[in-house]
Amino acid sequence: MTKLSLLTLVLSLSIFLFVIELVRREKLTFKYAFVWLLFSFIGMVFALFPGIPYFLAGRLGFELPSNFIFFSLLGMFVFLSLFLTVFLCQQNRRNDRMAQKIGLLELEIKEMKSSMKGR
Amino acid sequence: MSVKILIIVPAFNEGANIERTLREILAQPVPVKVLVINDGSVDGTAEIAERVGAKVVNLPFNLGIGGAVQAGYRYAFENDFDVAVQVDGDGQHDPVYLAQLIAPVLQGEAQMCVGSRFLEHKEGFQSSYVRRVGIGFFHFLIRVLTGLKVTDPTSGFRACGRKLIEFFAHYYPLDFPEPEAIVVVRRMGAKVVEVPVKMRARKAGKSSIGKLKSVYYMVKVTLAILLHMIKDRKAYK
Repeated sequence: MTKLSLLTLVLSLSIFLFVIELVRREKLTFKYAFVWLLFSFIGMVFALFPGIPYFLAGRLGFELPSNFIFFSLLGMFVFLSLFLTVFLCQQNRRNDRMAQKIGLLELEIKEMKSSMKGR
Repeated sequence: MSVKILIIVPAFNEGANIERTLREILAQPVPVKVLVINDGSVDGTAEIAERVGAKVVNLPFNLGIGGAVQAGYRYAFENDFDVAVQVDGDGQHDPVYLAQLIAPVLQGEAQMCVGSRFLEHKEGFQSSYVRRVGIGFFHFLIRVLTGLKVTDPTSGFRACGRKLIEFFAHYYPLDFPEPEAIVVVRRMGAKVVEVPVKMRARKAGKSSIGKLKSVYYMVKVTLAILLHMIKDRKAYK
């Protein structure tokens, strides 16, 4: 095993184990952990079987396997940030809805209080 | 049974204008309930509104005009109102036209009625040249895309009936609500009409959109409208 493979393996495995630990401590839910687990798993597979990235790089027309690795990483981050933007929008919408509801409920409580006083 | 009419007044730091706006609304012969949506103001807008006799919804932080107006529609929906009218808190919209604005909705002639400053009498505040060009462009764009003729698509002075109150309580465009809402309700098959109104330049404070931003705004709104045209109708529910 080359030094590079070993480094990749250590890095991927650390991410993999760290994500599992985060899920175990309920800091990360499975939904969001899954992408990380998947990508770090692929990293481990590539480190253990360097033939795979070499083969893929050749078949996809990359001059150097390292270029293929960089390209894949970049692709992963693009995908991940898109995924996060979707998540952000969803949270934003829920946040707005909640703010509206809080405002409406406050008014309702206030009116109930004053109608009780009036009785 | 009488009709329940709600006036939705979105206000963000309109302490200098809100009192006059509310007094003018309450002075109209049409019996209405006034709901001010205080969109996170820090200048006493809420206190003034309550003193004048409006109900006030205080949003815990600033949501922007779309989120504020939607809070009003949610109130209208939950409290079973027949008509909801948006009137800006900055005093641009003259409540004298309330009755005319509500009439087409009450008579079932349309589900939405927009107050237009460019229809019929071209008087009153007509906005800056740059903005007029922008508004004219949206008029053209909406007409080409939906076949609907709305001369003042950025006007936030509008009345909606029950069906749209329910629709807006669940979905309201947040980015550029005025022109977008027209396109969306049109896609949902609602009928939209316009009535002529006169608008006024705001008395105090400044508008939320600066002059330089106008062109950028136009590009963004155009994109948003085009995207609405290809949206899945189910996504609005």
